[in-house]
Amino acid sequence: MDTVWIAFAAALAIGLPAIATAWAQSKIGAAGAGSLAEKPELSGTVIILVAIPETMVILGFVVAVIILLGG
Amino acid sequence: MSKVEIVGPRQLLGETLSLVRQEGDLHIEPSAVGFVDDIHKQEVHSLLPDEKALFEKIFLEEFESKLHNLFACLPPAMIRESYLSPRPIIDTVSRTLDNHLAMCRSLCDKRDAIQHDLLELSGYKSFLSSVSTLLDKIQLTPDLDYIGITLKDEKSVDILRNNLNCLADASCELFTMPAEDGAMVGLIAATKNISQTIRSLLSQKQMPEFKFPESLQTMTFIAKVEYLQKKIQESEKALQTVEAELEKFTHRWGPMYQAAHAWVREQLSIIQVSAFSFETAMCFFIYGWMPAEKVTSLSTSLQRNFAGSVVLEEIEIRTEDLDRVPVFLQNPQYFKPFENFTRLLPLPSYTSFDPTPFIGLFFPLFFGLILGDAGYGLIVLLLSSLSTRLARKNKLFMDALSILKVCSLYAIIFGLLYGEFLGNFGHNVLGIKPLLIDRQKNIIPMLYFAMAVGLAHVTLGLTMGFVSALRRHTKKEALVKLLNIIFIFLIVALIITFIGFFPELMTRPLIISILLLCPFLLFSGGLLAPLELLKNIGNIISYARIMAIGLTSVLLANVANQLSGLTGDIILGLIVGGIIHLISIIIGVFSSSIHSLRLHYVEFFDKFIELGGRKYRPFSSNQKKQNQTGISDSESKQQEKLYERPSQSS
Repeated sequence: MDTVWIAFAAALAIGLPAIATAWAQSKIGAAGAGSLAEKPELSGTVIILVAIPETMVILGFVVAVIILLGG
Repeated sequence: MSKVEIVGPRQLLGETLSLVRQEGDLHIEPSAVGFVDDIHKQEVHSLLPDEKALFEKIFLEEFESKLHNLFACLPPAMIRESYLSPRPIIDTVSRTLDNHLAMCRSLCDKRDAIQHDLLELSGYKSFLSSVSTLLDKIQLTPDLDYIGITLKDEKSVDILRNNLNCLADASCELFTMPAEDGAMVGLIAATKNISQTIRSLLSQKQMPEFKFPESLQTMTFIAKVEYLQKKIQESEKALQTVEAELEKFTHRWGPMYQAAHAWVREQLSIIQVSAFSFETAMCFFIYGWMPAEKVTSLSTSLQRNFAGSVVLEEIEIRTEDLDRVPVFLQNPQYFKPFENFTRLLPLPSYTSFDPTPFIGLFFPLFFGLILGDAGYGLIVLLLSSLSTRLARKNKLFMDALSILKVCSLYAIIFGLLYGEFLGNFGHNVLGIKPLLIDRQKNIIPMLYFAMAVGLAHVTLGLTMGFVSALRRHTKKEALVKLLNIIFIFLIVALIITFIGFFPELMTRPLIISILLLCPFLLFSGGLLAPLELLKNIGNIISYARIMAIGLTSVLLANVANQLSGLTGDIILGLIVGGIIHLISIIIGVFSSSIHSLRLHYVEFFDKFIELGGRKYRPFSSNQKKQNQTGISDSESKQQEKLYERPSQSS
């Protein structure tokens, strides 16, 4: 039973940040695409803005790995 | 970069600007701020154009507009360079231009009218060509009426044939043949008494008779066909004549007008730039910036051309000038393609660093660390090498391929270190063993390694930020950066102690050191300093993506191998494996590039790069830019986005 809970916890640790990252990137990406249509020179800034929420899922991944292997 | 001023007698301003444009290295400063001392501010003022200069400007603008109109009329053709210098003969050229413009306009109007006619007649061309072939085949008699029709296909021909009752008693005849546009052209020859009945039948069956222009209604069918054919031939001949005349004119007069156009553009740009010059009662002043290594060359040219009347002087760059110094990129050949990544961001300030060498060093390294497959690396290297010939004309594509080649080499190296060749194919089939680490089985050590890479990269960024702050004489900022580095190392040491790599005895001194340094961090960086520290630690953890994305890449490659094995057939297995590996390569290359780039833009650059630099825009002719760079005008405009490292220019 413990193994199931460990797997479930690891899935939650990566799944929830992944959904959050996807939601944040969809919003930023849509706004970024709109900005780029008017000001193509902002491409660098838009890449940075879109990339920022990715840290969440990476942190989630690290936690999931620690739950699965580190525990 | 050097701060310079050019001084000379007022009457030599035009010639001096012409020489400066020819040399093409001086970025002219429109403002005198930072160039003129407060004591002399009253004496030096912006150069105001006199009446003669204004008239000259109006004349040149009108002249340029006329030249544009003339060139719009002329056909595009390769023309030789002019042997004449336009300057001494500009008045004559100006007078002939009016006559030539009127003549070319008339020819152009004529050409447009003929082209319009031909466009209208083009609708009849296909029908006329087919129907004239049919008319040639039959014997024409004045007793018969001829009706032309266009039919969709063979099926329509059959329907028409079935409905024409006159065919039975031979009072009419139907001839058909396929037209150039794919439709069928029909010709009905009928006796005059039944021709009207046939027309009504065609109308009922929605197969209307072919319509000729309204103006030809009174003519017979054959006369209409002959008239239109003759008109098309005449129009085509007339068009050829007009185009030949325009081409002849272009070859004869084009070189001279092109030279005149270049001269007018030069004069207009000089007039425009002279507004950025300054004057006293006797002298003119031009202020600006130029690469340090070019100063001697321009100074010598001025000395040679004006016999010492015009002088270039280098001025000391003061601290308050640093924000105004224009910047451009100047990197060794290896780093040039990586400048494309730097250009996605705004220009860094003069006191900051050019990030290109750092991208050039770390981007391929991170790419290799993430992709890390010798097979994928080889395929990417092969594809990028083969594509080089296709990409010769596109500079951006060439740069992308150069970057891809370097990255694929790193992917091969790390692939050998990880023992990966198309995932586990190399291990299972070829017997390749990891030289360093098997990242599929050693997830936690790889995680530590990725974070160690992050620690090194972020610390390097903070060190560069510390140096940059010292250069700008912002000691407080430098102290914050230094304290951040110390804090990060103390926290990392503490974590390592907790894990058990360092003796437990070290825990207490490390905690005491952190607590002792906290007030310093708060005093130097304010209340936001702890947040900045947390952000830096988060940045280091973010490098875990190197291991995470690398792991997904190798797992996808293994899935491709497993699925191809499950097919149980060599050919099908090769196809399935090939497709999935191809998808894996595309995803691998894309995600490795995006994440490596992100680690630079978000985690690394904000530690030391200060954005907001001014673009270096030298006053020069486009021709010179093209000669220097060997690229097109549009690309030379992109090249203006370059900036150089302060260490090389100051």
